[in-house]
Amino acid sequence: MSHPRHALDDLLGHPVRFSVTALLAAASKVEFSFVRDHVEVTDSMLSKQVSTLEQAGYVKVDKGFVGKRGRTWLSLTREGRRTFERHLGALREIAQSDGAGAAVRPS
Amino acid sequence: MSESTPTPLEAQAALTEANTQAVQVHRVDHQLGWIVLGIAAIYLAVGALMSTLPDPRRGGPVIGSAILAVMVVGLVGLVVVFLRIRAYSRTGILLYFAGVGTFSLWNGIVVGVSIATRWLASTQPSYHFGISVVVAVIPLFVAAWLIWRR
Repeated sequence: MSHPRHALDDLLGHPVRFSVTALLAAASKVEFSFVRDHVEVTDSMLSKQVSTLEQAGYVKVDKGFVGKRGRTWLSLTREGRRTFERHLGALREIAQSDGAGAAVRPS
Repeated sequence: MSESTPTPLEAQAALTEANTQAVQVHRVDHQLGWIVLGIAAIYLAVGALMSTLPDPRRGGPVIGSAILAVMVVGLVGLVVVFLRIRAYSRTGILLYFAGVGTFSLWNGIVVGVSIATRWLASTQPSYHFGISVVVAVIPLFVAAWLIWRR
């Protein structure tokens, strides 16, 4: 179990979920629309991916109101942050490798 | 554990993407710096108005209204900016509250020392008030600089 790929997280292998998690990892809290605009996805796509991350226990969703306007805030849970750090560490190792063994991708 | 393994190039691309997303959050943190500067601007504007008075202890209705207008407009502006914030980092919000907290404490010290040393006594010129205000807002400028340099 020494190959860095073992530390990769399947859920974070999805590009949208990875970008969402990367954005949340740098923040304390982020509004839903901010994530949507910066990850460049539709509301429904983001809702779906956030729901998946929430079910995995990686993301916390808080809903509130500013006046009459509803606002949804997203944040990473401790577990989500830990998983993302581990995933990033594995990516760093793979990126630094010469590609031998790591470049093989199952078809 | 993942079944598929990214190539080193794909891994590098993912790391770049993670960095790009982090930069977006740091950039939006700058709004907190603007709020801190806004507080300093309100304080400085009030200090400047007080410095123009022959005697700051006898302001009169015009200058009193001007000070009130500066404070109300400034505070409403700050609330609007605060409500428009869509993301913030832990470090950004910590620096913000540390800056405002330090300012409150430092401002109390500056006012206390100014009164104790008779720097703000009625016999002193009005610009003394402005100088005290300039010294008092230093922590806010430091906080804004710390937020922006990230």
